[in-house]
Amino acid sequence: MRTDTLIEMLARDAGPAPRALAARRLAPAALAGLLASGGIAVAILGAIPAPMFASHVPWTKIAYAGALALATGWLTARLARPAASADAPRGLALAVFGAMVALGGATLWAEPAELRLSALLGQSWKTCPFSVLFLSLPTLAAALWALRDLAPTRPRAAGAAAGLLAGSIGAIGYALHCPEAAIAFVAAWYTAGIALTGALGAALGPRVLRW
Amino acid sequence: MNADASHGDFESGLKPLWLRAQSGDAAAYRLCLELLAARLRGFFKRRLVGLPDAVEDLVQETLLALHLRRGTYDPELPVTAWVLAIARHKLVDLWRRRGRRDALHDPIDDVAERFLAVDPEDGSAKRDLDALLRELPPAQQRAIVLTKIEGLSVAEAATRTGASESAIKVQVHRGLKRLAARVRSVDPT
Repeated sequence: MRTDTLIEMLARDAGPAPRALAARRLAPAALAGLLASGGIAVAILGAIPAPMFASHVPWTKIAYAGALALATGWLTARLARPAASADAPRGLALAVFGAMVALGGATLWAEPAELRLSALLGQSWKTCPFSVLFLSLPTLAAALWALRDLAPTRPRAAGAAAGLLAGSIGAIGYALHCPEAAIAFVAAWYTAGIALTGALGAALGPRVLRW
Repeated sequence: MNADASHGDFESGLKPLWLRAQSGDAAAYRLCLELLAARLRGFFKRRLVGLPDAVEDLVQETLLALHLRRGTYDPELPVTAWVLAIARHKLVDLWRRRGRRDALHDPIDDVAERFLAVDPEDGSAKRDLDALLRELPPAQQRAIVLTKIEGLSVAEAATRTGASESAIKVQVHRGLKRLAARVRSVDPT
């Protein structure tokens, strides 16, 4: 087929281009992932006792992970579009992370020295990052699937962003199960789980985001 | 500097046309694709000096990608920046498929200047898109042939095949997507 024939074919009756395609593909993926990770956290891992929902315990985590999810979702949408700048969303994600680390550090500093380590490690530091990773997998699959229909020209970066988004959403789900109260714990181990998912996304990106 | 100015001219001429194309003006869209194809040809030709046969294939592959992913264009960006990012992606993908690991080392200005070079010669592609089209599932192939080659409207194609109009549109889109995927996996040289 000659190129002018192809052009003729593509242009004929082409109709308008879809609008806001990145948002329309990524938002349902994130929402479905959120429902899946929340559902799995409650059904398999078990929810925290109901009275705890009146305390800051789950809400600090949800606020942190939710803010990160918004920033990394924005980042993913930018990286899904050729030539779009990722600077602003990357800056926002780093600001959220920085604020949480500062808050965690400050609360740790306020503790008596001999209690700091137990506040940071809590009861579940060894399992927390992996639980977050596990709960992020539905979102990671859905987000990578959505990205395949978009146009990520930097597949590793786009995969990493999708991983961070999935990790943040997995962390929201995990907050429904996790009884740890220390903010430093959240800043360290939730972040580790989110970073782990980001690394998985970065590893998968170049393999699955080929087009 | 000169290149910057003429690059700006190309962009300022292309953008209003492209925006009309994006909102459904098929004639504007066709003109945009023609303008871009000539520049893509020049762009790839300079980078595929050792593989002249691959140039037209890559032009066609890039045009298909532009079409299928035109929903990712952000009106706040220059059209040329969006097109170039996709063209570079396609070039890197070709190198990778052929086992070349070295990345591209083009400074951006250089790319913009070279992208300007028009190459109107329309050599036929080595890869046969018509043959690939015939390998599509029958419903997708039929929808594409009726609406895109015979030039029927979606409504006429729907009456002719007995499928709904939205089904025809879906078959056309899926067929083009599958065609683009086949194009990547069938490397003729």
